[in-house]
Amino acid sequence: MNRINQKLQEDKKLLSIYFTAGYPKIDDTVSIIQDLEKNGVDMIEIGLPFSDPLADGPTIQDSSTAALKNGMTTELLFNQLKGIRETVTIPLIIMGYFNPMFQYGVEPFCQKCQELGIDGLIIPDLPVDVYHEQYQAIFEKYGLINVFLITPQTSEERIRYIDSISGGFIYMVSSASTTGAKSGFGDEQTEYFERIAKMNLKNPQVIGFGISNNDTFTQATKHAKGAIIGSAFVKHITKNGAESLNTFVKSILN
Amino acid sequence: MLTQMKKENIMNKEIKNTAQQVPSPTGRVREGLALKICGMKYEDNIAQTASLQPDYLGFIFYEDTPRHFDTKIPEISEDIKKVGVFVNAEIGTIVEKVNEFKLDAVQLHGEESPYFCSILRSTSLVTRPIELIKVFSVQEGFNFEVLEQYENVCDYYLFDTKGKLPGGNGYTFDWSLLNDYSSTKPFFLSGGIGLDQLDDIKKFKDSDASKYCYAIDVNSKFESEPGLKNTSILREFINKLKGKKTMNYNVDEKGYYGEFGGAFIPEMLYPNVEELRQNYLKVMAEPDFQNEFNQLLKDYVGRPSPLYFAKRLSEKYNAKIYLKREDLNHTGAHKINNTIGQILMAKRLGKTRIIAETGAGQHGVATATVCALMGLECIVYMGEIDIARQAPNVARMKMLGTTVVPALSGSRTLKDATNEAIRDWINNPVNTHYIIGSAIGPHPYPDMVTRFQAVVSEEIKWQLREQEGRENPDYVVACIGGGSNAAGTYYHYLHEPDVGIIAVEAAGLGVDSGESAATSVLGKEGIIHGCKTLLMQTKDGQITEPYSISAGLDYPGVGPMHAHLCKTGRAEFMSITDDEAMTAGLELCKLEGIIPAIETSHALAIFGQKEFQQDDVVVVSLSGRGDKDLENYIDYFKI
Repeated sequence: MNRINQKLQEDKKLLSIYFTAGYPKIDDTVSIIQDLEKNGVDMIEIGLPFSDPLADGPTIQDSSTAALKNGMTTELLFNQLKGIRETVTIPLIIMGYFNPMFQYGVEPFCQKCQELGIDGLIIPDLPVDVYHEQYQAIFEKYGLINVFLITPQTSEERIRYIDSISGGFIYMVSSASTTGAKSGFGDEQTEYFERIAKMNLKNPQVIGFGISNNDTFTQATKHAKGAIIGSAFVKHITKNGAESLNTFVKSILN
Repeated sequence: MLTQMKKENIMNKEIKNTAQQVPSPTGRVREGLALKICGMKYEDNIAQTASLQPDYLGFIFYEDTPRHFDTKIPEISEDIKKVGVFVNAEIGTIVEKVNEFKLDAVQLHGEESPYFCSILRSTSLVTRPIELIKVFSVQEGFNFEVLEQYENVCDYYLFDTKGKLPGGNGYTFDWSLLNDYSSTKPFFLSGGIGLDQLDDIKKFKDSDASKYCYAIDVNSKFESEPGLKNTSILREFINKLKGKKTMNYNVDEKGYYGEFGGAFIPEMLYPNVEELRQNYLKVMAEPDFQNEFNQLLKDYVGRPSPLYFAKRLSEKYNAKIYLKREDLNHTGAHKINNTIGQILMAKRLGKTRIIAETGAGQHGVATATVCALMGLECIVYMGEIDIARQAPNVARMKMLGTTVVPALSGSRTLKDATNEAIRDWINNPVNTHYIIGSAIGPHPYPDMVTRFQAVVSEEIKWQLREQEGRENPDYVVACIGGGSNAAGTYYHYLHEPDVGIIAVEAAGLGVDSGESAATSVLGKEGIIHGCKTLLMQTKDGQITEPYSISAGLDYPGVGPMHAHLCKTGRAEFMSITDDEAMTAGLELCKLEGIIPAIETSHALAIFGQKEFQQDDVVVVSLSGRGDKDLENYIDYFKI
């Protein structure tokens, strides 16, 4: 069974952390992954940086620009991840935009992911219908779970469609925004979380965007299986260095 | 398709009874054949089918058919004639329907006598002039002598397959029987015509039997169920019927031009883009939309823009060079055609807030202008570097009441301004419309922008007919950044294989210099701003920074339609350096007294590089005026 599905079966709320590969320093990738697992994180999204990250706010834009400046490439990330499964057991997901994968070749990219022990992909600008028609068979051939996003504006019909295509979890974007734009949840979000929870989807939901501390993590996971933190984590390591990530993770989980 | 204006006067004179040369009633130029889509039944489906712009839509007022029409006809373009189909109905019934549904034509499908036709034709009870179409069913043979007595009492004949039902039987008759057609009255060809008959139609068109064939009539072969038309199959049929080549250069049902296009957008944008996709053709087909659009283009923008024969330039380069003067539009470029269209679209979609991206500021000013005109809030994203180097346009936008927001990410130019506008849209999904300024972005943007800009080639057609006696030049030429002025200039010529299409890109300091924007040479297939197209990028798929002296051509991609034109070889792509463009721009000043925008100067620089024949008619889109570039010209020529 895919590590993502296994993890989703555990009887606990999951904390997933996003970071940009090659940031702050080019060689931080592996140590960040290992330290996150050591500190109790359940799942990791490794950000493959892109020059034009449309769905991201300033924090992740800046970390991506810096990572590219540091020399991060698809090839280099794959090299860094060689042997990662000797030390890390939690699910690993690569999150990135479609063009770099498209240039690498979707099938070679997926094949490489399988070789390295990557469990899934999140590609915000690969629409669900294009995935379904052109790429689903390739993803499945290499045992990869593709994770789709839904937002407060996504219609019920479309959520059901996305649920039917998904095979891991659904990434619930907390509000209409880019990453790192909002802090704290209002009634609107709570209503949305409850509405989705009531739909009894076949895939569990994990909430992302706007989760930055213990408070928002608790609120989000009240209605969902887990939550994803990206911008707040990137901000923390920008300020304090990757070595200090344990204090951040502790502040969320306690 | 969107403007009427002057051409109607020119074309309407020669409508009837000169088959093959008969232009469609609206003056659109066809490959000899008009199109009637019959058996319309459902309101939404009628609107969708009308957006394909057939010449006639047919409504069957005969109860014993599943296609019996008993609902409402939505507002559709006045260019489309509404035909009522009757089977042995009484005059009173026909008159009543004509008046109630404002029918333009009546098709008689029963055993109506010549006398009946003459009464109907001369009755003063109908409130509007009607065309009369008399149907004859053909089986194994047909006695054309029957027609004689109808010769003076109807406008068209229609030949249908004889079957169990009066029409809608779904199979064809032997069209070679029409070799014996003894009349000179134009006729409709009907009966079981579908995609499978395209080859037969082609053969028929090339044969003597089609000499007086005026139109093709289709019905059941394009239905998902009786009365419900499948618009995607219809579109394919129309494209193939109209095009001499089988290649389709228009967008397909899924938003692709060949392998390019699509909508590669994050889920957060899906509702906005989907709302637009579902509505844009419908809204554009509404008569009140078209009226308002045409009126504003005429009174506010100053259209039609002149098609000017550049005599001295022509003498120098030994070709007949015409300049399509988009530079004379309000705000000084073609950009306003699109922003007028999109602001009207935004209003009809109930949007109250407008966002846009801009590079040099031309599209920003055009958007700020229409927002002022309509009293809508406007936010324009502009790269921090561009803000510094295009101060006059920033001031113009501010005077027009627009908020200019600097894009601080990435290289802080057009690409990043576009990213910021998209991010704004993600954050404001309900009340905001994003007016994209070029023929780029996720479907339906490239198609929508192209259709709004298509007024350019629509005008060129009738203007050239007036001046040269023909509608097709030998070449149309336009500069390409994202490609909106080019898309508009080419649109009505895409499927005219005798018209050469020339696309002029900015080579910057030279294609191999590393400082260039020649996407067709340097680009590879990839995804930028929501569409798959040709794109300048690293081996690793990171989008690279282009360079050109002209801010309007300084974009790392090209619209998906142009990528398709490039890949299929339909268009010839040329690259022009900064130096060549500047020289050509100054030459136009001296020879014709016109100071062009530097973007446009690239298109002019092909003269002297490409050889033309002496009689070649070459139409160049003079996309913008040079006022905004004075500083650049001054610096470059040390004036």
